[in-house]
Amino acid sequence: MAEKFDSLEEQLEKFVENIRQLGIIVSDFQPSSQAGLNQKLNFMVTGLQDIDKCRQQLHDISVPLEVFEYIDQGRNPQLYTKECLERALAKNEQVKGKIDTMKKFKSLLIQELTKVFPEDMAKYKAIRGEEPPP
Amino acid sequence: MENFSALFGGGEPPPPAAAAALGFGPGKPGGPGAGPPPAAAAPPTAEDAARKATAAIGPFYLMRELPGNMELTGSTNLITHYNLEHSYNKFCGKKVKEKLSNFLPDLPGMIDLPGSHDNSSLRSLIEKPPICSSSFNPITGTMLTGFRLHAGPLPEQCRLMHIQPPKKKNKHKHKQSRTQDPVPPETPSDSDHKKKKKKKEEDPERKRKKKEKKKKKNRHSPEHPGVGSSQASSSLR
Repeated sequence: MAEKFDSLEEQLEKFVENIRQLGIIVSDFQPSSQAGLNQKLNFMVTGLQDIDKCRQQLHDISVPLEVFEYIDQGRNPQLYTKECLERALAKNEQVKGKIDTMKKFKSLLIQELTKVFPEDMAKYKAIRGEEPPP
Repeated sequence: MENFSALFGGGEPPPPAAAAALGFGPGKPGGPGAGPPPAAAAPPTAEDAARKATAAIGPFYLMRELPGNMELTGSTNLITHYNLEHSYNKFCGKKVKEKLSNFLPDLPGMIDLPGSHDNSSLRSLIEKPPICSSSFNPITGTMLTGFRLHAGPLPEQCRLMHIQPPKKKNKHKHKQSRTQDPVPPETPSDSDHKKKKKKKEEDPERKRKKKEKKKKKNRHSPEHPGVGSSQASSSLR
């Protein structure tokens, strides 16, 4: 799994480095550096081809669109992961609380119904079987 | 007090069609529309089966199968279940730096600015993909003539690649600088004090020495021969 990303990361790093060097050549261009510029331009094309090849290995990877919003705003995309985990844990705790409350309610209801309708509740318990208290 | 079964309709069993339509059929997981409604012309086997099931459950005709305990619900800690504690501790345990340049420190250019400023947002790339061919072709000789540039530096406003976001000094660097500079704010003043004190302490001694030197010079100088001769005479004595 990580190998796929490693190769993509490597290709992207090479591409970025090539673009950086291209920027340096262009920023103070000398006539003698035209050959180097042409070479860098072709490296850029091959770099894009290499990145495109990585697409085949990553067809099963899906990226949430919200991550792009973070990147577009100049924010660290790890913040998205952090917020996702925090939201998941909060929701998990919320649901757990609801389930626990419902279990308590059920046991109390059974307890009270047993007091009022002992015969019916005995039948009910016979059908359901003895359940452990929550 | 009324009987529990009477309260919940146990005395008069509901029509099975209605129960089936509500999805509360006894032991019939099919739900609404799963089977044909029991009509008079329908074979008696289905109705019999329903009655038998009702008889087995008794008055609790609304009772459903309980969800299995094996089913994954919110009652379990899902982060632990999916082995994400490490990720949770990694991202939520410590403060994650806000800026994109902290995530990609080696990327050249000002990447912390919003993408909408320079029309470089990823969102726009998805919403309006550029019109281009599906493959990347190398730039041939004739095409390269389009990339012939004029000699000379770029104007300042075009040098986006060289602009880097301001990096905050690391704590380590701070520590190093502190260690390298031997307590800069305090020691100089202390040392100055010491120096001043030393100067103050040295000053009377120096003055004395200077005075003695001056006296000696005066004694040997030709301007004061009397003193020198009298001393010489006294010494001769």
